[in-house]
Amino acid sequence: MNKKTLKSLLLMGSVLLTSLTSPLVIAKGVFQSGPDFIAEVFQQQPNAKVLWLTDDIRENAKVILDRPVMGLRVRYHQFDLTTAWIIEEIGKEMPITIGVVVTDNQIARVKILAYRESRGGEVRYPAYTKQYLGAALTDNHRLDQSIDGITGATLSVWAVNKVAALALYYHAQVTQGRDST
Amino acid sequence: MKIEKSIILNLRWHRRIGLSLFLMVIFLALSGFALNHSVGLKLGNSKLSSDWLLSWYGLAPTANVGFELNSGNWLYQADDSKLFLDDQAIVQCMPPLLSAAELGQQIFALCDDALVMLTSQGQLIEKFTHLQGLPEDISSITVHSSMLYLHGISNVFAFDADRLTVTPTSIILPPSNTAPRPLPEALKEYLKAQGLSSSISLETLILDLHSGRFFGDAGVLFVDIVGVLLCILAITGLWAWVNHQRYRKDRG
Repeated sequence: MNKKTLKSLLLMGSVLLTSLTSPLVIAKGVFQSGPDFIAEVFQQQPNAKVLWLTDDIRENAKVILDRPVMGLRVRYHQFDLTTAWIIEEIGKEMPITIGVVVTDNQIARVKILAYRESRGGEVRYPAYTKQYLGAALTDNHRLDQSIDGITGATLSVWAVNKVAALALYYHAQVTQGRDST
Repeated sequence: MKIEKSIILNLRWHRRIGLSLFLMVIFLALSGFALNHSVGLKLGNSKLSSDWLLSWYGLAPTANVGFELNSGNWLYQADDSKLFLDDQAIVQCMPPLLSAAELGQQIFALCDDALVMLTSQGQLIEKFTHLQGLPEDISSITVHSSMLYLHGISNVFAFDADRLTVTPTSIILPPSNTAPRPLPEALKEYLKAQGLSSSISLETLILDLHSGRFFGDAGVLFVDIVGVLLCILAITGLWAWVNHQRYRKDRG
């Protein structure tokens, strides 16, 4: 075997070895825990309340999410007219955990608490989430503000839009004094 | 003389890169061909369910084990990480299913990512996740004196399902057998008949190998590098052809 062939084989070997020995990188991000988010919003830990999902609520939630809502109840925290919700919604394949704060039927804050997809994580940046500030719910259960999308993160953007709308709907249910305990 | 040197250098690198990429180009071509004809080759219908492959994809191995509840119902995972109560699919839950218990009219299932609360009929009440405050190191759950306890590595916690609170306790619990057991044959047959055992299609596997995703971000990066090298191969090939023309012209 001449020197040139040996060099070429070494080059090929090194390329293959790099692929085999590289560690498996798993893109996963938990940015804030639920209790920390609630403490940050209310400067304290108000007791969690429960919204039981009646048939009527489930029907409307299904319209908002484009799928049946899971679970019989949802936890939330409330202080005066402000409620905070932590809701999960699938982006493309994995659930995105989203914290939403609603004050007086308008969104006061949206924060991505955990993002588990390998792509589309740009939705967690404040430059994106601040678009939701002041958004309210229309009669057909959609946000009354247009939200600029992110190229390559369409499904994640849709997921955040749905969760924001759902939190506004749930907020309306609990502040109207219905269906809550 | 100068042009000869340039030709030799160019061809040297063309050969080196070509040899380096030999196996990858063959593999990419064959896998690309297979993917282009996946419908005709029925790759989507070929299901792979070896345990190491499923665990590589983070899926529960073929559900052959589960937990028998006091009521006689079986709680287990099947169909790509779905939680089942007997023949009823309930909710997705990250494998493995570590432990299960029944308390009053509620069933509790401890998955890797959450404590799942169900009614005795198998309806999902809610999930209590690590993000919501479920301690990370919980490995099993036990019911004792009408209370649910969570076993951590060094602590035992009392769990209040109504308030979703976890309180460390110094209670000494009797040892409990929390290991999963083989499912009854009837359930195994049911899962097989319904095609609910966890599996990966051959098309998914080939697609992930072709794109490098099978090896995570490192694999994708590697395929990117192969792509760049293929571009360089095309450029050096073109350059060799141009040089060859110039060389022939110079020599008349």
